[in-house]
Amino acid sequence: MESKPRLLTVLDFVTAFFMLLATAMVFFYAPMEAVMGNVQRVFYFHVAAGWVGMLGFLVAAIAGIAYLRTQKRKWDIVGLASVEIGMAFAFINVVTGAIWARPIWNTWWTWDPRLTTATIMLLIYAAYLMLRSGIDDPNRRARFGAVYAIIGFLSVPLTFFSARLFRTIHPVVIGTNQPGAEGAFDMTPKMLQTFLFSLFVFSFLYADLLWHRIRLGELADRVEQLKLKVMG
Amino acid sequence: MLYQEMPALTTNYMLAGFIVIFGVILLYIVSLLVRQKNLRQDLEVLSEEESQPHGQTNQS
Repeated sequence: MESKPRLLTVLDFVTAFFMLLATAMVFFYAPMEAVMGNVQRVFYFHVAAGWVGMLGFLVAAIAGIAYLRTQKRKWDIVGLASVEIGMAFAFINVVTGAIWARPIWNTWWTWDPRLTTATIMLLIYAAYLMLRSGIDDPNRRARFGAVYAIIGFLSVPLTFFSARLFRTIHPVVIGTNQPGAEGAFDMTPKMLQTFLFSLFVFSFLYADLLWHRIRLGELADRVEQLKLKVMG
Repeated sequence: MLYQEMPALTTNYMLAGFIVIFGVILLYIVSLLVRQKNLRQDLEVLSEEESQPHGQTNQS
């Protein structure tokens, strides 16, 4: 494995600093929401985590297309890295949503279209990781991963638009809420600034983690190639 | 919740939410570091195996 690039170290520090700043803004800059109280502060990172999850799956689908076109293994490594990070953040999104829902909707879980589609999306990508690990041939695994990432991506727009297309109680941040939405609120300028900054910072965090995960994937690839060579 | 004058007391839920957020991120970073360490060890062992003459194995 090559030594860590200087730019990656810089990115690590910038991301850590931005995360601290975003956290400080969530707790000390954004005002407390008048009805929901402190639990509303989870909203900033809940939405940002959902954004990173979907971004991760989008990048994986693009990497899948790139792999099928070029057959270059680096795209398989990018795709796997992006799915893994996307899953971690989609998981944060679903769990923090349930925690927010308990005091606001008076239940941890309801079979609402948004919650259901988000969970199905998460399970689709969990299956991606499990099925991949069951294929030994690297080229077959990469081809399967590419096709799966492209088809699996269909669940992402379905999740995003579910709160807009179907009758739901989940609030919509950008656009108009359904009449039955519970827990919707009007953002003050300070809330909006904190929200947009959180999205920006989580995008940075995604880029940083992706770079690290790609480097790990390259190392794993080298080990796998060497293993095949030694055993063969 | 609609007719109360004070914000709801939901600080515990907020704390639980942030524990999940930072916990998962931290866990993921630790998993990256552990996997990296293990792969480096594997690479070292395999490189040694590869450099040895054919048929010999490392006894240690």
